[in-house]
Amino acid sequence: MGNGTIALVGNPNSGKTTFFNALTGSNQYVGNWPGVTVEKKEGRFKFKGKEYHVVDLPGTYSLGAFSEDEIVARDYILTGDADIIIDVVDASNIERNLYLTTQLLEMGKKIVVALNMVDEARKRDIKFDIEGLSKKLGVPVIPTVASKEKGIKNIIQAAVDMINTDMIVENPLQYNETIEHHICHIEEALKGEDLPYPSRWTALKVVEGDEEILKALRASGLNKDPMQYIDNFYKYHSSENFELEIIDTRYAFAHRIAEGTVQRPEIEVVTLTDKIDKIITNKYLGIPIFALIMLVVFQLTFEIGEDVLGEGAVSLIEGFGGLMESFLISMSAPDWLISFMIDGVINGVGAVVEFVPIITVLYLLLGFLEDSGYMARAAYVWDDLMRRLGLQGKAFISMIIGFGCNVPGIMSARTLDNKKDRMITTLINPFMSCGAKLPIYSVFIAAFFPRYGGLILFSLYALGIILGLIMAKILSKTLFKGESSYFIMEFPPYRMPTLKNVLRNMWDNVYGFLKRAGTIIFVVITLLWVIAVLPASADPYSEFSILGRIGTFISPVFKLAGFNNWQASVALFAGIPAKEAVVGTLGMLYAGQYVEEGAMLVNAIQHNFTSLTALSYMVMTLLYTPCAATLGIVGKETKSIKWPVFMAFYTFAMGLAAAIIVFQVGSLLGFS
Amino acid sequence: MLGNILKIIDRDGYISRPMLSRELGFPEEVVNDGITQLLRMGYISEEKTGEDCSSFCSGCQFAKNCSKEIVNFFKISDKGLGFLKGR
Repeated sequence: MGNGTIALVGNPNSGKTTFFNALTGSNQYVGNWPGVTVEKKEGRFKFKGKEYHVVDLPGTYSLGAFSEDEIVARDYILTGDADIIIDVVDASNIERNLYLTTQLLEMGKKIVVALNMVDEARKRDIKFDIEGLSKKLGVPVIPTVASKEKGIKNIIQAAVDMINTDMIVENPLQYNETIEHHICHIEEALKGEDLPYPSRWTALKVVEGDEEILKALRASGLNKDPMQYIDNFYKYHSSENFELEIIDTRYAFAHRIAEGTVQRPEIEVVTLTDKIDKIITNKYLGIPIFALIMLVVFQLTFEIGEDVLGEGAVSLIEGFGGLMESFLISMSAPDWLISFMIDGVINGVGAVVEFVPIITVLYLLLGFLEDSGYMARAAYVWDDLMRRLGLQGKAFISMIIGFGCNVPGIMSARTLDNKKDRMITTLINPFMSCGAKLPIYSVFIAAFFPRYGGLILFSLYALGIILGLIMAKILSKTLFKGESSYFIMEFPPYRMPTLKNVLRNMWDNVYGFLKRAGTIIFVVITLLWVIAVLPASADPYSEFSILGRIGTFISPVFKLAGFNNWQASVALFAGIPAKEAVVGTLGMLYAGQYVEEGAMLVNAIQHNFTSLTALSYMVMTLLYTPCAATLGIVGKETKSIKWPVFMAFYTFAMGLAAAIIVFQVGSLLGFS
Repeated sequence: MLGNILKIIDRDGYISRPMLSRELGFPEEVVNDGITQLLRMGYISEEKTGEDCSSFCSGCQFAKNCSKEIVNFFKISDKGLGFLKGR
C-alpha cells in the first residue's frame, strides 16, 4: 500500500493518538479489526512526495494474550503488512513503556522509538541520553512532542530510512540458562514446520505458556512430533515458574536500559510517610496510638456534637414540640392525639433525633480517618493480635464497619473465605457498638458524666472490642477450631481527605439514622404509646398500664444490675426492634410521668438512675441482644435459625453478667 | 522484580507500593504493573472486604456501608508460597 505501511504502537496515554492525528491530519478512517470489537484506525500521509499508510494499533502495556487489544496488536505486528513499527513511548514513564519496547524487540521487527512528550518529562526534570538509549536498544530513538508536532518529521525520516534498509533488529534479551535451553529445544522441535510466527518467538511463547499461541499452533496443523514435544514440555514443567521469570527478565532489561540513560531527580530514600508508618505500625505502639486516636475522636464528638451543636438540636425539637402542641390545642384536637403527638412522637422519636449532631460529628471524624489512609494501618496493627486470638486482620474491617451498623458489618464477613473466620466474625460483631447505641450513651453521659463524655464513650467502645476478642478466642477454641487464613493488607498512601468523601460517609450514616427514626422507631414508639396509655382505667404511663405491667414483670431480671425500674427494663426490650428505640421509649415514658413540661429527658434520667446504675445500664445496652435487623441478617447469612437464637441469648447473658459485675463491684467499692 | 515483590510482601505482611518502589529501585508505575502481573499469574489474589450490594439490595439503607472497601487485601496463593519456598 503506497510506499510503505507504518504501525503505531504504544501504552495507553503515551500520546499515540495525538501522534496519529499529527501524522495523518484529516486523512484517516475508522473501522473494526476483523472478528473483534476493537476499533481500527488507519490513515495516510505524504512525506517527500511519497504516500505512506499508517495503522494505529490499540494502546496496550504489553503484547501478551490477556485482552483483545493485546492480541490484535501483536497479531498485526507479527503477521500484518507493517514495514515498520513506531513505538510511541511516554518519556515521563519511560521505564514502564520500555516493557512493551522489549517485547517488540523480541519479535525482531523493524522499530523506531518515538520518545514522546519530552517537554513534559523535562518539566519534571527528567533528563535523557538519547544516543545512549538508541545504542542500548539497537534502534533509532527520536524525541517528539506530538501535541506540538515537534520531531514528527525526524521520526518519519528515521522510519522511512529503516524501511529502505535491510537492517535486522537483534533480539537483545537473553533468559536464564534453563529457559534458553527450553527455547532452543522447542525451536528445534518446530524446525521445518510452517509456523504462523517467527520460530524463536513462538518457542519463547510456548515456554511462557501463552495459550493463544498454543491454539494458533494447533490450528496451523502442526505435525504430531513437535506437538507431542510441546505437550510433554507442559507435562513435565507445568509447576515451574517460567512465565514469571520471563516477565521478570523483561522488567530487568527495561530497567537496565533506563539506568544510565534516564536521569530522574533524586527522591527521598526515607519519606515522611515511611517515618509515620514506622511509628504507627510499630508492634508495641500501634494499638496504643490507635486507642489514643479513638479517644480524641470520641472526645471531639462530645465536645462538638453535644456541647456545641447538641443544645441547638434540643431547642429545635422542643420548639417544634411547643409549636405542635399550641397548634393542636388551637385546633381543639382530642387529648389522646395531643398526648400521642407530644409524649409519643416529640418526646419519643424527637429524643432520638436530638442526637443527630453527635452522630454527624462521629461519622465525620471516622470518615476523615478512613479517607486519610489511617484505617488500613489500624487494621494492620490489629492483625497480629487478632491472629493470636484465632482471627485474621480482615475481620477487623468487619468490626470497623460494625461500628456504623452491625448489619453491614456481618454482611462484610461474607468475604472471609473460611467458615471459622466467618462465623466468629459474625458472632462477635454485635459487641461492636453501632451508631444506634450512641444516643443511649449520650443521654446517660449528659446526665451523669458530662465532663468525661469522650472517655466514657471510648471505654464503652473499647470494652466492646475487648469482649469481642475474648469471645473470638473462646469460640476459636471451642465451637470453631481450625486455622485462620493469612491476608496481606495494602497501605494506601496518606492523603488529605476530600471533603466530598468525608461528607458522603457522614451523610450515608446520618441518613440511615434519620430513616430509621422516621420508620421503625416511629412504629415502635407508636405501638408502645398505645399500650402505655391503655387500659383507659389506668393512669397513662403508669405501672398499671399494659406496658407498665409488662415492665414490672420483667424488671426483677435486672435487679442485680441495679436498674430494676420498669421503664428502664421495657426500654431495653423496645431496643430489640431498633436500638434507638431505647432512648425513644425512655423519652416517652419519663416525659409522660416524671418530667415537667419543657424539661429534658436528661433530668428524668437523673431522677431514675445513679452514676453507677447509669454505667451498668450503658454496659448492658452495649452488649445485650442485638437489634432485629442484625439477628435477621445472621439468620440469612448462616442459613439457620440456630445462630440468631444463640446470638440473642448469649449476648443477653453477656450483657446482663457484665452489667451485674459493674454494679456489684462498683457498690462494693463504695460507688453509688 | 516480580520475585522480589513477592518476597517483600511476604516478609512485611503488607503492601506499600511506594515502599516497594523505593526498595526495589523501580518506578511506582512499574511496581503497579508487577503486582498486576502477579495477580494475573495467580501468585497473589485480591480479596474483597465489602460486599457489593448495589445490584441486589440497592433499596437497603445499609447498602452503601456494606459495600465499603476500607482496605485492599491480598493473599499469597499456594503457587506464590511454592515459589517463595523454592527460592
